[in-house]
Amino acid sequence: MAQHNLGTVLSFEFIRTVTKGRFWIGTLSVPLIIAVVFGLIFLSNTSTDTAAAAQKSAQFSISYTDASGLITAEDAALFSATAADSPDAGITAVQSGTVDAFFDYPTQPESTPVRVYGADRGLFENGKYAAVAQAMLTHAVEQRIGSPQLSALAAGRVQIETVTYDGTEESGGLGSVIPPMVFLVIFYGLIVLLAGQMLNSTLEEKENRVTEMILTTLKPTTLIAGKVIALFGIGLVQMIVFLSPVLIGRLFFPEELSLTALDVPPLILDPVRMTVGLLILVGGFALFTTTLVAIGAVMPTAKEAGNFMGVMMALIFVPFYAVALVVSDPQSVIVQIFTYFPFSAPVTALLRNAFGSLGLLEAGIVIAILFTGAAVMLRLAVRLFQYGSISYTSKVNVRTALRAGSRHPAEGPPTTGS
Amino acid sequence: MDEARVHISGFRMDFGDTTVVRDLSFDVHAGETFGFLGSNGSGKTTTIRALLGIYEPTAGILHINGRDFKPEHGDRLGYLPEERGLYKKEKVIDIMTYFGRLKGMGRRTARQWSLEYLARVALADRATAVLDKLSSGQQQKVQLGVTIMNNPELLILDEPTKGFDPVNRRLLMDIIAEQKQGGATVVMVTHQMEEVERLCDRVILLKDGTAEAYGTIDEVQNKYGGRIIRIRHTGAIPPSPHYEAVLEETNYSELSLTDATDEAVILKDLIDAGVTVRSFTTTKISLEDIFIRVYGDQNVPAAAGTFSTAPAPARDGA
Repeated sequence: MAQHNLGTVLSFEFIRTVTKGRFWIGTLSVPLIIAVVFGLIFLSNTSTDTAAAAQKSAQFSISYTDASGLITAEDAALFSATAADSPDAGITAVQSGTVDAFFDYPTQPESTPVRVYGADRGLFENGKYAAVAQAMLTHAVEQRIGSPQLSALAAGRVQIETVTYDGTEESGGLGSVIPPMVFLVIFYGLIVLLAGQMLNSTLEEKENRVTEMILTTLKPTTLIAGKVIALFGIGLVQMIVFLSPVLIGRLFFPEELSLTALDVPPLILDPVRMTVGLLILVGGFALFTTTLVAIGAVMPTAKEAGNFMGVMMALIFVPFYAVALVVSDPQSVIVQIFTYFPFSAPVTALLRNAFGSLGLLEAGIVIAILFTGAAVMLRLAVRLFQYGSISYTSKVNVRTALRAGSRHPAEGPPTTGS
Repeated sequence: MDEARVHISGFRMDFGDTTVVRDLSFDVHAGETFGFLGSNGSGKTTTIRALLGIYEPTAGILHINGRDFKPEHGDRLGYLPEERGLYKKEKVIDIMTYFGRLKGMGRRTARQWSLEYLARVALADRATAVLDKLSSGQQQKVQLGVTIMNNPELLILDEPTKGFDPVNRRLLMDIIAEQKQGGATVVMVTHQMEEVERLCDRVILLKDGTAEAYGTIDEVQNKYGGRIIRIRHTGAIPPSPHYEAVLEETNYSELSLTDATDEAVILKDLIDAGVTVRSFTTTKISLEDIFIRVYGDQNVPAAAGTFSTAPAPARDGA
């Protein structure tokens, strides 16, 4: 029956959360904001493309002076540009509206700015003058070099692919960092979004005086395990919802959203790092959840329990203060401490795992610490829940609870009952 | 009624240096309604919690159906705790279905049973309402429903009428009677002496963590004198080996008979002693009187409308 009840608790806790309107308001607000941002990007890209196309086909009159001597009459003719007598004459022509733009190429354009003067057409459209001035000069230089290949190379338009080796094995570079880094993102998402719910999960039974009825039908371990697993499921639902706009955008609208410009390298799924990442995520989540549940079991009200939330949040953000060290010098003392201290271990180890600096032995130790810590905290949470959940109005003395027998309060009846 | 549904033997419960219950032993037989009585702080709730495994007893045996109670045995237990409540932010039907499932019912069965119960207690239209939108009385009805789900063979009701309005109190009593009729064993922890006299087969009185009295209502009444003579009179009541004056006011007294002397003999003795008797009524000592006698020396806070440490007014004759 205990196993049956685990499923019952799990489904009750999961369903009652995901069927609440406020859950979806909170959950959907994030992707909604992302969708709005993407929408704005899409609209912006569309208007940019439209404007660029219009600019491309737009005709405007140009005059120029070229002290460098790079631009030939043929080059200028290609852009329908006419030579001005002097820079002053060119500027005057623009001011009088005789021409739309005047380009003043200096003697050494590689070190001295090309000066561009144009009739004001608005902030965005004015950009066309500089673009055409650049294009004229580039064209002239390419003509001088006489080889498109050499021109491209001289312009630095070179594609380089780097291959690095870890021993004889080819290492993956950024493409191998991103997939295991996802576990870190998920960990942060789960903890930040669900910490409050974790903290309040057992407080609810206490505040609503449901505990005694629950304890006669259910083992505390089953109740708490059910709540923890349900929270994990709820967190995953939230993460999927949060990531859905990104995935949809990436899969179906990459061009519209200019996501191709991100130049994401091919992703490499290293099974070892992915497994280690998953285990650290699960272990870390379990440790934080059971700890928050234990805190909730001690406190009489959600308000008092909330004071501990900040502490737990700080613990997951502290490793980021040393992120440069975590990445560049993973063997430094501070990183080692963060790696093995249970409450900073998930973030530090997930970072190191993503960057490939977490050895298998280290990973094994961290995973063992997290799961052992979670098991200890689960036992503690159960003990505190057993002892503290019928202490309806006062804070439980942890030392007293631990000193007590499995269900035996050692000091004073915890409630007003006779 | 031979089988002990509940067996408690040598139970002791310490909280730190304080012993709350000491050497308590009693049985509750299958099918009976058992009254568990005592003043506040006498150890009743502690005993129930230890029986249900919520507390670990310091010593003793506490068995339900011949074994220690474990949550996995709880599917045929109906427990209404003194501190009661349900998930306030959930729908009534979801709460009831959840508890039904925890008690081993299938989802559909639990839901169906809940809907039928809600219809019976005129809450059918509130099934999908969130609990804290219900009135206090309606919430009590839901709580009762959760308690009796899955046809419990043992009902433990800790201060069952506490906080209940008269309508729900009647409903509760009907349900207790129904459950008893259906074969359930009922343990009532209560201060409501009238209900105990009306419903209970046997009782135990707990005082300072020990059993002060234990047995059928008659046995307990007999232990405390059995018969009470209420007299309105003029003149002082003389001492007698046949009775003990348990209450003496200027013109009203209550005498607890200490032997089998006939009431007519007592009346004759009083008249012979010069007492002018205006009314003379014999009655059995009530549990309330026993309660007052047992706990009257303690500074017992009275439960609302249950009992008083003030002298009882004459109720019979005038």
